[in-house]
Amino acid sequence: MTRNLTLGIYLPGKTALHCLDPRTKIAGASGLILLLILTNNYAAYASFAAFTIALILAAKIPLRFALKGLRPMLPFLAIMWVFQLLFQKPPGAAVIFSWGIINITDAGLHIGTLMSIRVLLLFLVTTILTLTTSTVELTDGAEALLRPLQKIGLPAQELALTMVITLRFVPTLAEEAEKIIKAQTARGVDFGRGNFIRRTFQLFPVLLPLFINAFKRADELITAMESRCYTGGAGRTKMKVLRMGRSDYLAWVVFAVFAAIQVVLMIKVGRPY
Amino acid sequence: MKLTIRKIVVSGILGAIAILLGVTPLGLIAVPTPLGHATILHIPAILGGLLEGPVVGLLIGFIFGLISFIRATLPMFSDPLVAILPRLFIGITAYLAYAATRKINPYLGYTLAGIVGTATNTVFVLGMAVIRDYLTVELAVTFGLAQGIPEMIVATVLTVLLVSSIKRIRGFEDPAGSNR
Repeated sequence: MTRNLTLGIYLPGKTALHCLDPRTKIAGASGLILLLILTNNYAAYASFAAFTIALILAAKIPLRFALKGLRPMLPFLAIMWVFQLLFQKPPGAAVIFSWGIINITDAGLHIGTLMSIRVLLLFLVTTILTLTTSTVELTDGAEALLRPLQKIGLPAQELALTMVITLRFVPTLAEEAEKIIKAQTARGVDFGRGNFIRRTFQLFPVLLPLFINAFKRADELITAMESRCYTGGAGRTKMKVLRMGRSDYLAWVVFAVFAAIQVVLMIKVGRPY
Repeated sequence: MKLTIRKIVVSGILGAIAILLGVTPLGLIAVPTPLGHATILHIPAILGGLLEGPVVGLLIGFIFGLISFIRATLPMFSDPLVAILPRLFIGITAYLAYAATRKINPYLGYTLAGIVGTATNTVFVLGMAVIRDYLTVELAVTFGLAQGIPEMIVATVLTVLLVSSIKRIRGFEDPAGSNR
């Protein structure tokens, strides 16, 4: 159970994309996601797909890795596309196919197809980010990006600490959960039998010790931090200071040009339905 | 907003449980629904809201949203507006439901927190999916009833059992034996 514990897989490497400052990568990925959310036509999606493929090539990610996480999603995506086709009937849409009670509108076809492309690209962008950036870099970068917001009261350093504690405790708690399941099986709990109400009750002897132990660990950590006079982010320094290099500025220029192209495409071409 | 050490640590560790439930089969209970299972991933957020207040609930909800965004298997969850944003509110509404009714009877408070927290997850996620064009309204309602009601039963049963036991074991309600 503890073996396949990954938050998205990190693929170590030395490509230009791997070596970018995590701040650039996180902000860039967020920018790309924002662009995708706003994108509304095929031309803009085609240019976006070309850019995504360029990113995958630049990061030297084997296609197998990039597409691996996509497999469980595909059947759902197909079902959602069919549902959009059958049920999406905005007023004023032209019926392009009709058979018995089934009426397919052009808007349904476009909404379904655009949604599928958007989902695929969103997934690829997130995958590229997690494949080229380790979790440590991700939290570091997120903290650095949020730090300016500290002035308006957002506790950036504390939020980063919360994320670090979370990542630190996932393997520990996974081990604990495994032990608890074995212990309860030895005591005769029969997991995975009976109707769903019974299954719910079966989970209780696993979840309760898990939560109680979690709270116990939390209390210990709180005591340890308080006795060492932890006071939060004020005046703290970092062992590894993040530095923007020439490649980061280059990446920003590339992103800005690409974003401009996308915005032009969105405005000029417009929604197909 | 100032976060105390207690809030940081408890959110971090309950967030770790949310991730653990998310990446192992523990977080899914086989139930005859459209997806074939009911999720209990939002329970840490409800518990965090109930036991430690709305801020902790919000942080755990954020971690839950993040994990469902990064490991999306349902297409609509690769959209951060569907995966992350609605989850921020789970712990907050659960806390509000509990805070409003705990004076009457704490168990009523736990039950309502479980119901309201799960409803927040179901309704906000599906609502956002409709706004973002992933589902039509009729489909979202059907799906919400078929998937949401079993999830609500599972989550409410577990919330009531877990919160009452955790409180009893940790002596939350007994000021003399309090170990907070």
